[in-house]
Formats: sequence, C-alpha cells, structure tokens
Amino acid sequence: MVMSLDHLPEEILHAILCYLHPRSAAVLEQTSRRFKSVTSVPLLWRHYCASHFKSWDRKHDILHKIIAPPSEVDWKALFVLRSQTDRAVTRLLDSILASQTGRIEKFRAVIDFGYDAKDTLVRHSEVESGEDYLARRYYARALLTCLHRSIAVPEWAKLRRGEQVSLERALGAFDLFIPESGYGDLDEIKHTLDDLVIQYQAADPESRTLTPRQQALSLSSWLRDHDLTGIQIGREYHALEHNFLGLALNSQGHNSLPLISAAIYCYVAREIGLNAHPCGFPFHVHVIVTPNLGFDMNGEALSDGEIGTPMYLDPFRGARETPLADLRDQLVFLGASETEQAAFLGPSQTSEIVQRCSRNIWTSIHSAPQGAPGHTSSVDVVSAKYASLWSSMLLTGNSRPMDLRHHLPLLMELFATDFPSDIFLVEQYIVPLFQGLFEHEHILESLHVMRAVDEIPKQVRRRTGENQNIRFMVGQVFRHRRYHYRAIITGWDRECGAGEQWMRRMGIDRLQAGRHQSFYHVLVEDGSVRYVAEENIDLILPALSDLPTGLTSIAGKHFKRWDEESRAFVSNMRDEYPDN
Amino acid sequence: MSSQITLTSSDGVDISVDRTVAERSILIKNMLEDLGDSGEAIPIPNVNEAVLKKVIEWCEHHKNDPVTATDDDDNRRKTTDIDEWDQKFMQVDQEMLFEIILAANYLDIKALLDVGCKTVANMIKGKSPEEIRKTFNIQNDFTPEEEDQIRRENEWAEE
Repeated sequence: MVMSLDHLPEEILHAILCYLHPRSAAVLEQTSRRFKSVTSVPLLWRHYCASHFKSWDRKHDILHKIIAPPSEVDWKALFVLRSQTDRAVTRLLDSILASQTGRIEKFRAVIDFGYDAKDTLVRHSEVESGEDYLARRYYARALLTCLHRSIAVPEWAKLRRGEQVSLERALGAFDLFIPESGYGDLDEIKHTLDDLVIQYQAADPESRTLTPRQQALSLSSWLRDHDLTGIQIGREYHALEHNFLGLALNSQGHNSLPLISAAIYCYVAREIGLNAHPCGFPFHVHVIVTPNLGFDMNGEALSDGEIGTPMYLDPFRGARETPLADLRDQLVFLGASETEQAAFLGPSQTSEIVQRCSRNIWTSIHSAPQGAPGHTSSVDVVSAKYASLWSSMLLTGNSRPMDLRHHLPLLMELFATDFPSDIFLVEQYIVPLFQGLFEHEHILESLHVMRAVDEIPKQVRRRTGENQNIRFMVGQVFRHRRYHYRAIITGWDRECGAGEQWMRRMGIDRLQAGRHQSFYHVLVEDGSVRYVAEENIDLILPALSDLPTGLTSIAGKHFKRWDEESRAFVSNMRDEYPDN
Repeated sequence: MSSQITLTSSDGVDISVDRTVAERSILIKNMLEDLGDSGEAIPIPNVNEAVLKKVIEWCEHHKNDPVTATDDDDNRRKTTDIDEWDQKFMQVDQEMLFEIILAANYLDIKALLDVGCKTVANMIKGKSPEEIRKTFNIQNDFTPEEEDQIRRENEWAEE
C-alpha cells in the first residue's frame, strides 16, 4: 500500500488545515468526499474565525457563540460572511481613494458594516508602503474613528432621552473620540474597571467584615496608594489627558481630575456593595456614600423611618472623610442658597457629570499650555474639542437653546473640515435637536450642500491658456516667507479667488503683487488650511523624515504617497488637477 | 543512568541511540520513566527502520532545542515558516513524509509533527482542486453535479 494524504488520520489533517489559509481549506474541500468531510468540521472554522477576525459586530453575539457547542453555530457561514465583508470594505476604501466624488455614500456603506469593518480598517490604517499608502492610512483611520464615534454618540443620546446609562459608559464615550486612548469599545473600559475590583478584593479580603464607613475609607486609601486616583505632584492640573476615564485607567500614573477619580471610586465602591455616587459639588467633584436603608454608615440598625446620614469623600485627594460641615461652609462662602446647597450636596445625575466632563475638557483646551515646552499632550486637541461639543450639545436641555445655538457653528465647522464622514451622525443626532428652531433649515441646507458638492465631479483645472504661468504645483512643500510655517500645496487659483471682504481684511492689496498673482490652497503643519499668495511661497525640498509626522499623516487626505526623487507629495486629486 | 538505549523497529532492527536524544519523544520518555531503565531494547512496533532512523536524525539535530511550551493559543494565525535545516530534512518522497508525520504523531514529538504538517500545508497552498488531486494522487469521487455544487458553495474563496 502506498501512503498518501488520504491515509492520514483526521486529527493530523486537522492540524495541517490549521496551518492553511481558509481559502486553501475551501479548495481542498472540492477534491474528494473524504476531504469534504474533513474540512467541514465546525471546530476548524471556529479556529479560522477566531484567528482571522478580532472585532465582531454586536449583532453576532460572538461571546455567546464561542461558549456554545461548536456544532450549534454555522462557523463556516460566519467565516464566509466576514471574508466577504472584508473584501467589500476593501473595495469601498479603494473606491474612496480612487475618486474625490461620491465619498459620502461610500463612507456610509463602510460604517453600515458596523464593527465587522474594523479589522479591515485597522489593517489598512497600518500599511507601511504601497502606491497610495498615505491616503489609505488617512481614510482607513478616519473611518475607524468614525466607527468609534458611532458607538459613543448613541450613549449620550440615550442619556438625553432619559434612559439609563452607567457612568462608566457615559464617560467612556469620551475615550472613543480619542484615537490615542486605544479603546475601541465601551466594554473594554468596563473590563479594566472590573480588574481593579478584583485586585482590590484580593488585596483587602477582610474588607467585607468592616462597617460601610470603614470600607469606604479603606477603598479610598487603596486607590490613592496605588496612584489610581488624583494627579501626581508637579503635573499640570488642566492637562487634557486628565479628563478621560479610559485614558486615566490605562496610562502610567493614572492621573485624573476629581471628576474622573470620583467615577473610578464609585465604580469599585458599588461593586463591593456601597451606594456611592459622584456629588455635584462646585469646582471639585466629591463622592457621596449613603448607607443602606435602615442602617447608618457604621452599620448600626436605625429605628423606623430614620434615615442614615451619608458620608462624603474626595478620592482625588485621598482617604480622609470630608466633614459635611466643611462642605457647607464652602457653599455658604460661595453664597449658595439652601436649595442650591441641597442640590450641590446630593448625588449627581449621570447626564450632569457628562456635561461637567465636557466643560472640563473645554477648560483644559483653553487654559492648559497644550503643546508648550515640557508638556507633550498625548491627546489630539481637535478630537477632544469635538467630543466636548458633541456631548454638550446632546445633553444641553431644551430649556437652553442659547447654548445649543452657541455650540452649533463650532461643531459644524469641525465636522466639515475634520470629520466629514460623520455626516450621518450629524443628520441623525444633531438635526433633531433644532426641530422648531430657526437654525433647523440652515443645518439641513448646509448638509444638503455638502452632499451635493460630494456628488458633483470636480471641475477640471488644467495648466493651459491663462493657467500656464502658475509657478508651483500641487504636492510641493514650502515655507511661508513671513510666518515661517511649513505647508503642502493642495490647489491653486490663477489669481486671488477669495471674496472682496476677505481680501480687504487680509490686506491683499498691500502685497507686492497684490491680488493679481497666483494663490494657493495649502495644508499647514498645524493641521489648518490656508490660502497663500505666490510671493509668500518659498519652496523647500525636505526629506520625508524632516517633516513632522502630523503633517505626513494628514497629507493622506489629498496625497497618495511621498516621492523621494521630486521631494514632493504625489497627488490623489488628479480628477481635479490632472497636471498637478 | 546509562546514556545509551536501544530501540527495536517494527521490522526487527535494533538501533542504539542517546537517551537524551530518544527522550525528544514523549512516548519513549514516559516509558523509560514508568519502566525504569532495565537496559532492554524498547520495541517501537509502528515504525520501520528507515523511518525510525530518519526520526532519530531529526531528534539528534534538535536535541538541544528548548522544550517549547505547547502553543495551544487557538486564536493566533499560524505561520508555515520552516527553518532551513528542517526544510532540507523534509525533502523526501511523499511516502516517507507521511510516514514521518505518523511516526512523530505516534512517538509524540510535537515539534517534528508540526514541521511535517507545515510541509504538507505548503504543498497544498495556492493550488487548484485539480492540482491538489494530482499532487497527492487523490481520487475524485464526486458526481459532476456534486462537484459543481461544491464549487459554487466555495466561490467566495476565489481571488
């Protein structure tokens, strides 16, 4: 008898199949009945699913499937679905990169795949080389962050509708706006907090025998001793990263503002059976712990109808109990009335805490010396600002239309310039807020214009006739003669195409060559977009490594890759500027 | 503890081998531990002389490898990279290849079994059903209708 593949026992064939790409398994299946049966084992396709795909959309309920008996799930069908999704997303991304027209609907189609699109987007966002790697990375990342936001925003919308959202989810939503947090869904933040609970319980197994008051204090000192709450000495209090729950949990030193420290405390406290809530004390969020019904904080039974006095803590500062009298004194000093005092000293609603977090972020952005020497913020300011605007708009009560109106233009501007893939989120969640207000029509109109512009092919601009004397090309890098910033040229006009008002404000006619010289649209290293006269452009020929990484990553918005020979970016806007 | 032991192949040939080399096989290692070292030859009834020698050659070359913790992480994609010496070692006819795989499985030498499986995986990779049949001499026992249906079911896998 001659030995052949056919004679290997099933378990060895299974081991071989685990080394193969699932595609090869599908090919082997077609060779004979024996191999059809060998390749149809559910366990094999479960392995393929687990090893090829990390992120799963909620609709699959994948955790439940994994613990179910393998034969109860059609793992092969699931694999095939994911593999088709992967290709569809890749095709959509390719098509987004191929043309500046019709991108909005393609963004939408990608986002509609939900979390099943994530693995594909992560892969494309990490490409290191290739014909269009800068653009691929840029748009994959833009879609990825849009996907995260599409998970975050509904949490705040739920709060707005008065539905229950846990504090850690409502605050975790801010982390999803920040790519640097490394979080991709809210459960990850909950798991990190659950780990803390386990660590605390392991470190302090005796705590169950303590009175509620002792428990509350013991937890506070444990968190402080492990640097899980508060801010290390010498750090800038208002640093942006201190505002994010997930970031604080994951980062070294776990530095956080009182609000976040209180949230961390409350999560662990509740898991060990304490009634802990953040308390809306002005300027500094405290924690209020109330005793169980019928008992006081020392665990003593109370007589009927008597209500135990709560205790106050400040987990940001440490283990001491904050006497109620101190808090009252401060409130009196601030001139708070009796009713106000009651509100400030009671537990806060989750929506109030979110709004407070949103204001804190705003304050951090405007008061901390972000980017100043000695301070390297690990958080992207634009994303943080965007998170703050979204949360405050969604949670501002209908009673304060002025606040809504105030935030709207800021949000719309950020959305249009930096997050255009969010148009569906804006349509679904922002537009209804203005129902009945006069801005409603305006928003609909600008969204309509965005869509229309997106659908019309770009007007082709050739370097012939009147345009042949334009000196610089799309993709070239320059230093501004007067302001010295570096920027990339993304477009041009034969002469100044801005409105009369803008020209007057910018003093265009005081330039040597005035308004009748070529003007360039440029992408500046700080991420802003500007319009520059030809006489202010001083071309430079840098190496790619000379340019800030921030600039090369946003360059992907308009450019495919860097060309080392010409020392310029290769345009991805040939449909608009065929001659560059 | 003597450093040499004797193995008897299925076709009755005695082969002398370093105990440490033979202990790459978990089966032999456990037998030596259970039986104690009586100095008697250990019968290996499922493996003939040619294959057993080949397996010993592999164990000899890998005798100083750290015993790898069994990698049972099912959630990682496995690579089919094979180191150069092993690749050369596996350049044998198909019958010998399958015999080595079966022997490694029987003798419980996980690293050798892995190399064997990877080698076969590399032979399957990138081929069409017909090419696979040819390579491994597999009989197509589908009816044309069945074949057509299976092909359609697996269209997703085509590039």
